[in-house]
Amino acid sequence: MNFRENIARLQDFYLLSIKAPAGIFRRPFYFREMIEQMDYMGTGSLFIIVLVSLFIGMALSLQISAELSTLGLKMYTGKLVGVSIIREIGPVSIALSFAGRVGSGMASEIGSMVLGHQVDILRVHGVNPLKKLVTPRVVSAILMLPILTVIGDAVSLFGGYYIAVFVSHQSGSFYWSQIRDIMDFKNIFSGIAKPFIFGYFISCISCYMGLATRGGARGLRKATTTAVVFSTIVIIVADFMMTRALLLLLGESV
Amino acid sequence: MIEFQNVTLSYGNNGVLTRVSFKAQFHERIAILGGSGEGKTTILRLMLGLVRPDEGKILIGGRDITELSESELKDIRMKFSIVFQEGALFDSMNVKENVAFCFREYANYSEDQIEERVRELLRTLGIENAVYLMPEELSGGMQRRVAIARSLAGCKPNMMLYDEPTSGLDPLTAENICKLIKELSKGGPPDRMGFIIVTHKVTDAAKVAERFLYIRNGSIIFDGNITELKKTNDAELRNFINELYVAEQCS
Repeated sequence: MNFRENIARLQDFYLLSIKAPAGIFRRPFYFREMIEQMDYMGTGSLFIIVLVSLFIGMALSLQISAELSTLGLKMYTGKLVGVSIIREIGPVSIALSFAGRVGSGMASEIGSMVLGHQVDILRVHGVNPLKKLVTPRVVSAILMLPILTVIGDAVSLFGGYYIAVFVSHQSGSFYWSQIRDIMDFKNIFSGIAKPFIFGYFISCISCYMGLATRGGARGLRKATTTAVVFSTIVIIVADFMMTRALLLLLGESV
Repeated sequence: MIEFQNVTLSYGNNGVLTRVSFKAQFHERIAILGGSGEGKTTILRLMLGLVRPDEGKILIGGRDITELSESELKDIRMKFSIVFQEGALFDSMNVKENVAFCFREYANYSEDQIEERVRELLRTLGIENAVYLMPEELSGGMQRRVAIARSLAGCKPNMMLYDEPTSGLDPLTAENICKLIKELSKGGPPDRMGFIIVTHKVTDAAKVAERFLYIRNGSIIFDGNITELKKTNDAELRNFINELYVAEQCS
């Protein structure tokens, strides 16, 4: 692919990223598709998110209490687990799981519709594929990922609690009091702002890759893989940039 | 009126069409013949504005569609309806939902009205029993019929476009699809709904079409009726339509 094509693709992606969320403010509204997507993304991802979050919470608690016990500070496990989960690990790990499950699904579904001429059929019948296929997915991802993140964070904290109390033999009430202490506006805002952005990026990248699918089964494989790889990279880079920006915004010193 | 003026298209370094020019009326019954990968389907896609040519003009009803935006193309596309190869049915929807799709998009029908109209359309095409089946449960012939039903639902096109409508079908089913295509285009010009059928099956094209275009290496080599087609001096084209001579001899 030459330089000109790359620029053209970047421009297409840029337009999709703007037009897709803006589509929710203009008729026709595809509420049925949106509900379907929310169900697929939210309910469908719940089990995997709970499972991943539970084990991340437990592993983190195990590691932190092991490190702190050498310093005689293992009673602060709850505080460290809470901040790590709510501000960083929760949003990122859940977004990565979401990209693996939902992002690949979006890219392959739209890609197979492109290859099967179903997207052409939409265009022929005067239906804007961006509004019918992309807008419901982008809006659903923006709404569902934060909800999944809140659920995932809660499960991780319970996982951390289990390890702290039953393995590391700490006080359960002290663990929760530590968690309550870190539940301030800054931490909650930092943790909850990220999934909105991650959901937006994952859905835009995956839908774009799906719509750009060319070249049969091999093209579909490439589109799906690229969607997940790009989403993963963007999540990690965006996380760093947002962390930096939020620290500045919230007036926290580094 | 549809007019292609020196249309050239290539995908990367691969030339697909080279200076293709022809004119057609909406009521005409046209077959575009040619081998695989010669750019037959691309002509249909260009006609609908799904791809834009590198050079040349495509005039539909006097408007150059190569200059139009996606929203402006909506009116042009309403003049046509297309049945893609394999049907291109929405595989996550059953037959009823596939056909109802256009009713839902175009008109404010109630669910009862949609159900009634879908059944009526499916009855006309002889597939009423398939109403709740999923696309993968349908035979090739039924998929094409559902695709035709969907293309006719909620709109009245001036011209139908068929992309290889009989490929992969047994002779009997292909015959039935040809009859259906002809039936939908009944009546006399200029009021009837014409069609362009893209196919490499010459005998099927001969059953339905009145005008034939033959494409080779991205250019139109032949344009004429069935008598002229049979009398062509082009050796390669004679070879391509050989089955037509065989069928004639058999009959």
